[in-house]
Amino acid sequence: MFYWIYDIPSVALALIITGAFVAFSWLGTIFIRPFLRVFLRKRADINDLIGYMLSCFGVFYGLLLGLLAVAAYQNFTGVETIVSKEASSLSALARDVSAYPEPDRTNLIWLLRDYTRYVVKYAWPAQQQGMIPQEGNTRMIAFHEQLIRFEPSTPGQEILHAEALRQFNNYLEARRLRLFAVTTSIPGVMWAVVLVGALMNIALIWMFDMKIVNHLFLGGILSAFMGLMIFLIASLDNPFRGELSISSAPFQDILTHLMEE
Amino acid sequence: MPPRRSLPMRLRSAWTLLYLAIFALSGCEPLNKARDVLTKSDQERKTIKLGILHSQTGTMGMNEMSLRHCEVLAIEQINASGELSNVDLVPVVKDGRSKSDIFRRRTRELVDVEKVDVIFGCWTSLHRKAVIDELDNPTDLFRTEPVARNSAQPHKPLLFYPLQYEGFEVNRNVFYFGSTPNQQILPALDWFMSQQGGSRKRVYLIGSDYLFPRTANFIVRKYLEKQSMQVVGEDYLPLGHSDFKDSIRRIAETSPDLILSTINGDSNFYFYKQYYESGARPDSTPIVATSVGEDELRRIPPEYVHGHLAAWSYFQSLDTPQSQEFVKSFKRAYGLDRVVDDPMEAAYTQVMVWKEAYKRAKSSDPLKIREVLEKGLEFDAPGGKIKVDPKTHHLYKKFRLGKTGLDRQFEIVYESKDLIAPDPFPSFAFPGWECDWTRNGLTKGPMPTIGL
Repeated sequence: MFYWIYDIPSVALALIITGAFVAFSWLGTIFIRPFLRVFLRKRADINDLIGYMLSCFGVFYGLLLGLLAVAAYQNFTGVETIVSKEASSLSALARDVSAYPEPDRTNLIWLLRDYTRYVVKYAWPAQQQGMIPQEGNTRMIAFHEQLIRFEPSTPGQEILHAEALRQFNNYLEARRLRLFAVTTSIPGVMWAVVLVGALMNIALIWMFDMKIVNHLFLGGILSAFMGLMIFLIASLDNPFRGELSISSAPFQDILTHLMEE
Repeated sequence: MPPRRSLPMRLRSAWTLLYLAIFALSGCEPLNKARDVLTKSDQERKTIKLGILHSQTGTMGMNEMSLRHCEVLAIEQINASGELSNVDLVPVVKDGRSKSDIFRRRTRELVDVEKVDVIFGCWTSLHRKAVIDELDNPTDLFRTEPVARNSAQPHKPLLFYPLQYEGFEVNRNVFYFGSTPNQQILPALDWFMSQQGGSRKRVYLIGSDYLFPRTANFIVRKYLEKQSMQVVGEDYLPLGHSDFKDSIRRIAETSPDLILSTINGDSNFYFYKQYYESGARPDSTPIVATSVGEDELRRIPPEYVHGHLAAWSYFQSLDTPQSQEFVKSFKRAYGLDRVVDDPMEAAYTQVMVWKEAYKRAKSSDPLKIREVLEKGLEFDAPGGKIKVDPKTHHLYKKFRLGKTGLDRQFEIVYESKDLIAPDPFPSFAFPGWECDWTRNGLTKGPMPTIGL
């Protein structure tokens, strides 16, 4: 729904989210606070009361934000590990097939090159748009067809072939996990709770009774921090989207190597 | 102690600071990009899907992969050049899996689901005919959307086909970028009959047993009826055949001074190997092949093919700036060990020609593109100038004859002076048949007995 935010550069996104929170907080302080004061100013200890409420609420909300940030970070690093495992398997597979006799060697290297180029130039941008790339599957089938067509004729070739098939299966497993990760993200309902929580937090700030300049300053700081936390979670969520995303660099390295094979 | 400034004064200073901050940030690239994303002020870009339909798997997978690479390369180059302003070409690649019914199904997907206006594809005549038939007579079983019964003009994309082929076919919605027999095989025979080619008089025809070799050799036999050369033998072997001993014995018995080979695929390796091992050499009886290009040569040890010839319109060794640029860009994209050949050049050219037509038609609509092409569009391809024949939807092309070297490349020994007009229905082979899409379309004559 809000995937367009990943098209915005990180610095600008941080400024926009933080700015939006601060602006919302300030607008409320200027326009809503006067109405709230009519009801709340009757009590002398209103600031203490709201302070307790805010502390209590802040603990729960902070916990929610903290846990979400950790979960998003863990998911991000998990997917990063999958991608690096996948790239390692692909690299090992390329090394194995480069020892095959001709013409199988050239055919297999060309097919791997074709696949890796597709991953770098087409699959990765598709993933960044939240789409699961489909065409890689056909290229993998073509590679598998060529691989199983090879008939080892020496004990050395038999060992090499068995190792290549094992690497190929490892690669397929890692690839499948990467494709599953493309659409992995924090559920919409959690985002809704985070945003409603932020609104309630800011609304509590509006209820304080103090000088307007102090109110704007303190409310602004708290809102800015909330905005920054939400920016952090949003950036780490959807590991393939946005500027802060997992790059195709490991595959680019393999492609560069394969091009020189 | 300095006097405190009044509130309005302080507010004015604050606003000035805010303005200055906004002014400073307006030069900030990330914020400019954010503004574009948020306001969508970036000019709306149009996306045009181009269908690419080749076998990626199955027996034809390796061959057709090279064609796909050239088509995708052309699309990437067009996108990178920005020649089509505000248009992004998107290749939609489908796998025909070397099976005709899968080619049909994928054609239907490209038409019904992807809504493409053009399909670049196929290698074998069997698959081409399946795709054309599916475009002309959609199979209800493969349809993914209900048949629009009231639609007066159902959506029918154009098919661009890159291979040399047997001719005897035209279709209003198909453009053929490969050579016809009168642009490839007959000029080769003419050269061998000339003094320069050794004034040869006895030719042996050998080919794989399918549509192209049978039809091509039918045309050759008819052509040679009134020439100084005679056909001394004719042999057809199944695709993938590996034992050519009987054929080579028959060749030796009939003593030809030229072998015209329309053998396709991996069989070429075995044929050249066994021919070499039989002691025959190209000096006395050369083989001129119509389906062996640079891509096929990499699978055959050079000593087996050294000195034999191939008839095409394009060779990688063609020394022109356009050709060298094409070779360079292909190697840059797909690897330094890759080679290009005639079908690959045609695959690349057909995308570039579509782009030229799009620029003139200002639309990807198949009818408008066809209209532009039917005006006889000319284009500087890597193989030199080509021209679309409005009458038959084939190309005016040059003929070239190459001799195989030990470096797995061809040395061009002959090149036609002018472009040769395509003739899918040579009158000596198909009397009464002719085509002119600018006038009456296809005129059919009596059905020839080709012997398929």
